Amino acid sequence: MTTHTSTIETVDKKAGGREANLGLWLTLPTQLLVVFIAVFPILMQLYISLTDWSPLDGIQWWRAWELWNTFANYTDLAADSQFWGAVGRTFLIMAICVPVEFLLGLGLAILFVDNFPGRKILYSVLLVPMMVVPAVAGYMFYMLFQSGGPVNDLLSIFVGYPVRIAWLSDPTLALFAIIVADIWQWTPLMFLVLLAGLVGVPEDQQQAATLLGASWTRRFFTIVLPRMKAIIIIALAIRVIENFKIFDTLFIMTNGGPGVATETISVYIYKITQQDLIWGYVAAIALAILIVLSLVSVFAIKLIASKEQAS
Amino acid sequence: MTQITLENLGKNFGSFTALAGMNLTIADGEFVALLGPSGCGKSTTMNMVAGMLQPSTGSISFDGRDMGNVPMARRGVGFVFQNYAIFTHMTVRENLAYGPKAQGMGSAEVTKRVEEIASLLQLGSMLDRRSGGLSVNILQRLAIGRSAIVEPAIFLLDEPLSNVDAAFRAVMRTELKQLQRQFKQTMVYVTHDQLEAMTMADRIAVMDHGKLLQVGTPLEVYNNPADTFVARFIGSPGMNLIDGEISKSDKTTMVDLKQFGSFGPVPDAVLGKLKSSDGKVIFGFRPEMVELDSNGSLKMPVNFVERIGARTLLHLGDPDDSIKITVSNHEPVPKQGEVAQFTIPPQAARYFDPQTGNVLRGEA
Repeated sequence: MTTHTSTIETVDKKAGGREANLGLWLTLPTQLLVVFIAVFPILMQLYISLTDWSPLDGIQWWRAWELWNTFANYTDLAADSQFWGAVGRTFLIMAICVPVEFLLGLGLAILFVDNFPGRKILYSVLLVPMMVVPAVAGYMFYMLFQSGGPVNDLLSIFVGYPVRIAWLSDPTLALFAIIVADIWQWTPLMFLVLLAGLVGVPEDQQQAATLLGASWTRRFFTIVLPRMKAIIIIALAIRVIENFKIFDTLFIMTNGGPGVATETISVYIYKITQQDLIWGYVAAIALAILIVLSLVSVFAIKLIASKEQAS
Repeated sequence: MTQITLENLGKNFGSFTALAGMNLTIADGEFVALLGPSGCGKSTTMNMVAGMLQPSTGSISFDGRDMGNVPMARRGVGFVFQNYAIFTHMTVRENLAYGPKAQGMGSAEVTKRVEEIASLLQLGSMLDRRSGGLSVNILQRLAIGRSAIVEPAIFLLDEPLSNVDAAFRAVMRTELKQLQRQFKQTMVYVTHDQLEAMTMADRIAVMDHGKLLQVGTPLEVYNNPADTFVARFIGSPGMNLIDGEISKSDKTTMVDLKQFGSFGPVPDAVLGKLKSSDGKVIFGFRPEMVELDSNGSLKMPVNFVERIGARTLLHLGDPDDSIKITVSNHEPVPKQGEVAQFTIPPQAARYFDPQTGNVLRGEA
């Protein structure tokens, strides 16, 4: 008996090893593709970011080592006031847009949890901005905020005399216009995600709380919100990451201007890529941003995991 | 500790009638089980008592006070949900303290009540555990404790044992009954399991298709079912029902059961109630009310013998709609293919109207 079993085991092990090998071979093309898609660009960036390479130098990118400058790009970046200005504006836009989008989205989601006449139509209407191509949204708000545009005309009706505010030429108002456009376009996403979360809060737990005498507010803060924590973190993380990359609407509306008043990281990168052509430096910025965003994501994922463990 | 009165209570969902014309008075401190198959309207009734649903017709009153405009938060109803609806993101203590806090009690009072209820329900050792990973019997006690802590006038339990396995159910039935004795509250218990209803309830309300069919103590409902539905639904297996025809001879009136023989005499009280002129009647008897007797007037072929321990269950007659009788193992049991011959004590026979299904009262 013993010999029998051991033979079978050896055979099985061999077969298992062969199977594992076969599996490796079969998945190899896909694995290589993944490596090519994910790893190669990052390694290339890292390589370029350590050189002074520019397309104007007339040498191929793989020979960029001839222009090796170690961490000079990174030290330049640390001292680049235009870059830090762009970072500051990016965070300012984020600090206003994300909380406003969150609160509006949550408010709408609360309204849409219960059925009411016309809910389905309104629901579809509310999701439209999200589906508009950002460049088109940019054009729309560019047009709306012209000094002779609809926003000023509407204001004129309210105040009773012609208003001619140059929204997009004033540094503060331009920023305001861009924030309005972003909130218009991305509140629906927040609404959609939060509504899904809100619907997922167990009905019977809310009823149990009601039967125990809890008011709506108490239920909301003790049952609904704690149960939505994971999805709230996801929604905020999505918008923080997306908002950090804000570019298309903004570029069409103000081109980063007036001056650098609405210049965000993405606009700055665009400018140094297309106008200054210092690609080694661009690579350094790109990597720095990638690292920051990855840290944000890791932080969010850890937060969600801990919430899930808790509940 | 409240009397509940349901008057002509009804509920429609669109064109679907979930409940109609329900009249029931539940006495102070009574344990009433609403029993019926899925979709019979028992949960609908319960949800209306709790205030989660608005009645379409009729009224609900607690101690004579109409509840029509009282929102569910103010009805003083404790509700134990089918899956307990425990706040799993909170600790056991936070769960228990939820009601008192929501009702604005001071923190000293809340602590005192939590300690009291926890010791009563033996939850003291796990007060600071997260309620998410607790076992089902603890969750059940916690659900009851969370409702009991605010001293509700009424306890409503919606199939609280349907999620646990059979062995555990027996333990929990006893536990639940003991808890009711401790709290002395009016309890309404919804279930589709007749065993739960029979063992725990003071009275059972049997429902089907949105109608209340019979209310009575477990034994009343068992022994004297009001109609054929209750007769079949209560008991495991349910009451045997056979189509028969009244046949009068010179001396006695018998019920003719065709190939199965005949039974009689049929009491005059039954004959008086019989409305249809064709003499058709449904004859019923409980499986265990049978005595094997070689001179018995009832004869049926045995098509299956099921041994269930102390007793043996015989399936007789038509295999698709068989008559079931239970007999003791101590006497010789007819084998499959043989013919079982038996009698029924006259007081065990029941007669039903074939048109309405209602019982023709004639019990001895």
